Amino acid sequence: MNMDKVISGFFIILAMTVNFGFVYGDLDTMTHHSKYELFAAIIINVIATVLKLGDRTQVGSVLLATSLVADIQLITAASVWTIATYASVVTSEVSTTIVSLSAGALLANFVSVLLYVGDTLKSKR
Amino acid sequence: MSNSTLWIVLLRMRMPFIVIIVTYTIAITGLLLIDGVDDKGNVYHMSIFDAYYFITYTATTIGFGETPYAFTYPQRMWVSFSIYLTVLGWFYGIGTLVSLLQDKVLLEELRRNKFRRNVKDIRQSFIIVLGYNNITSEIIKKALSYDIKTVVIESDESRVNDLLLENFTPYVPVLLSDVSSPKVLEEAGIEKSNCKGLVCLFNDDKLNLKIAVMAKLLNRNIKLVVKATTMNQGENLEDIGVDIVANPFSIISKEIDVAFKAPNILKLEKWIYKLDNLNAHTPNFPIGRYIICGFGRMGNYLHNRLSDNNIELVFIEIDEKKLVNYKEDSVSKIIIGDADDKKILTKAGILESVAIIAATNDDTTNLSILSSAKKLNPKIITIARENELGYISMFQNSRIDHVFLPANILINKTTNALINPLSDMFIQEMITKDEAWASSLVKRLTQTIDESPLLESIEIDNYDAPEIYKHLDNGEELKLKIFRTSLHNRELNNNVVPLALIRGDEKYLIPDWDMPLEKNDKILFACDKYARDDMQHIAQNIYEFYYAYSGKEKRTILRRILK
Repeated sequence: MNMDKVISGFFIILAMTVNFGFVYGDLDTMTHHSKYELFAAIIINVIATVLKLGDRTQVGSVLLATSLVADIQLITAASVWTIATYASVVTSEVSTTIVSLSAGALLANFVSVLLYVGDTLKSKR
Repeated sequence: MSNSTLWIVLLRMRMPFIVIIVTYTIAITGLLLIDGVDDKGNVYHMSIFDAYYFITYTATTIGFGETPYAFTYPQRMWVSFSIYLTVLGWFYGIGTLVSLLQDKVLLEELRRNKFRRNVKDIRQSFIIVLGYNNITSEIIKKALSYDIKTVVIESDESRVNDLLLENFTPYVPVLLSDVSSPKVLEEAGIEKSNCKGLVCLFNDDKLNLKIAVMAKLLNRNIKLVVKATTMNQGENLEDIGVDIVANPFSIISKEIDVAFKAPNILKLEKWIYKLDNLNAHTPNFPIGRYIICGFGRMGNYLHNRLSDNNIELVFIEIDEKKLVNYKEDSVSKIIIGDADDKKILTKAGILESVAIIAATNDDTTNLSILSSAKKLNPKIITIARENELGYISMFQNSRIDHVFLPANILINKTTNALINPLSDMFIQEMITKDEAWASSLVKRLTQTIDESPLLESIEIDNYDAPEIYKHLDNGEELKLKIFRTSLHNRELNNNVVPLALIRGDEKYLIPDWDMPLEKNDKILFACDKYARDDMQHIAQNIYEFYYAYSGKEKRTILRRILK
């Protein structure tokens, strides 16, 4: 058993699941979406990104790319939420934006997991 | 992403990043959970942004006080704990980054990247020089003066610094690295189409051979200049296909040999290398007995070269081991002993000799031998080999008749071969000619032009001489004479002497003016400044060519109207 693989796999998959947890629910109802879950999703995503750093293989590069996409989507969602809360009002439009942004991140995370699993299945060790 | 510096940084920053993220998360989570009290006395919970904001400026030790409201004691306890946690994490990250930027491997990688970029950006012709020392430094200067860029690979850091201090303009990219790996040669751009040559003048014959083989495999079309110090090595290099085998001892003995047979050829050669003009004093070597001190590599070459010049040779060698290569023949004999010893010199017949050559590999010894010889026989001609190439020559003020400096000859030969391949070919052909040919050419050059004519090479192709090329392309005939035409008055001739014409594998020395030109001919002229301008105009300017060819002014715009 490769401890490195366990840790990075854990974070990559957790990033996807937490992200899914946040996205799940009505688009325009903010009560369906916990801000703490978004917070957790961002942190786990960033950790997953850091774990992918320095891998020079082809798959490693693509994994890093998808991870960076997810980070950008989630941080944008959080920024939109923060700005709306403190500088204006959270309307249903804003909440739709927040959730769809994180849904985009979910897609990236999904691709990430697919790549990761595929790479693992291909590997001989 | 082939950029490996970024990868090194990322890989090394993995752990610090994780530490920062985890410590922030712990601190922020704590702040989110602990009850606070606002200014009205109500219980509140910090929002995620509040907590993140507070931890951000706390971890970086900036500190803006307690926001959004004054903290309660439980909050303060948590914050004290988080300060230790996050500040440590933050400093650990910064520390890693700083130590990374001082990391030898990383710096090396950064330098390599810069070098690669520089090589990639070179658009004009360039040569690769392996090893930086006095000799290659001169080669670099010469190449730069001909507008040819150079790239240097050097394995010794102090020499790299010397190069940087030299501050060449234009900039000379230099890589600190071992020279003998194909990867390094690739990085230096050996596979680029504008890489014209590689100079490799190490004293280690094995290394030179290895590099020569690698270079030929990587790029068949570049000119290789490689140093060899033995016959056998020279032959090996020629077998591989090295263009210029730079053997200082062979060069120097050839020079002395040519000086015997045809001093004017030596004069022409010096003029082409821009060392002297054609009015210089012609070196004169009398026939008689020669004493040669030192039977090392140079002595060997001299022995092979000079034996057929009807002169008597006496060698003096201090080290018996060096005599294994010596073959007894009718015109030479060898004495074992110290050439600096007056007794030995007398024994060698210094009083009956016409010249003495000091050919050891030590400058002081050579000087000392020659001054002893002068004392014994004031009329003797002294010839020295100079080894050290420095700014101040010990031989400058010694009254030695001829000083041969192998390093200097090497520099001239190398740069000339790389930069002016035509004149290099001309020299190689010229050496086979005799004294009568050479002296008549010297006369012709000085009478037609002046004592230091310029060299100009023209290739009849679409780039160098488009007008002439087009004309020949249309099936018209054109003679070499066209290049002699004066553009002030077509009836007059400029001061030009054609030195050589190359057509495929054929070489014509001193071609006749009536020779018809063909496409892709390469011609070497000796001329003066005016003639050079006129030749370039005739080759490239439609109007000037038309005038030189027909004697009329070409009309292009009014052609249709005035038909």
